[in-house]
Amino acid sequence: MTPPRSFNVFAIAFAVVFAIVYLIAVENNYALFTYHPALGEFGGGVQPAREGPAMYWYGWLATSGIAASVAGVLASLLPESLTRRLWPGWTWIAAAGVMAAFCYLLRNFFLR
Amino acid sequence: MNSTTVLLIVHGLLAVALLGAITHQAVSVWAPTRKPAVSFIGRYRAAPGVSYANAIIVLYLLTFALGGVIYPDFRVEARVVVEQLGEWKPMGAFELKEHFAAVGLALLPAYWYYWRRPLSEDHARTRAALTLLLAFIVWWNFLVGHVINNIRGFGA
Repeated sequence: MTPPRSFNVFAIAFAVVFAIVYLIAVENNYALFTYHPALGEFGGGVQPAREGPAMYWYGWLATSGIAASVAGVLASLLPESLTRRLWPGWTWIAAAGVMAAFCYLLRNFFLR
Repeated sequence: MNSTTVLLIVHGLLAVALLGAITHQAVSVWAPTRKPAVSFIGRYRAAPGVSYANAIIVLYLLTFALGGVIYPDFRVEARVVVEQLGEWKPMGAFELKEHFAAVGLALLPAYWYYWRRPLSEDHARTRAALTLLLAFIVWWNFLVGHVINNIRGFGA
């Protein structure tokens, strides 16, 4: 299977935007929806806990996935002259940077 | 044994397969052998990494999806106990596990693109870095999941 050349641009933009938006979504709780596992119910946006904990992880994934998909598609539509020099190393650098940021943000779990 | 426990076991078995595949690929990329392999280690290093790429993507997706299915049961049944036990370090490690898994998921399109045949020498460094990062994520998530399950497995 040979993907179009623009898939390279999509994949880079998707990886970078997903990682950054995911970090922002977690830190500011921009969950697209909330899941209430004790009730087995979904609710739109960020909702407080009801009869048990509220889960935002799925909502963060949805927020980041949509943002990254839109960014990836838009980037892949750019003319090749603009994207030719897009460095693929940004994929793993953004991911590693966001992972390091999570280690810092969650440091209190390890310092108690 | 309830259905969540069965799914957790399947999740663990998929993770074992993923761990083996990504480790094999990472070793073949970062410590390739130049000579004909005769020893076990040599043959391990000589494996063609490209042949693992699609399997790794499928296994990652399946393991991730199954983890997402059983996560609510963990949240309701197990996490509360882990917190009550004051096991903060494993709890923090689990928080990292869920975030690392998400970040790794987003790398899969790029990982697939740079591992497709024929391999491009221009992308060898990116391919190696993505493989190493995914290997780290898979190892972290496997070990943390194992530790958490030892502290409070479903049905324990």
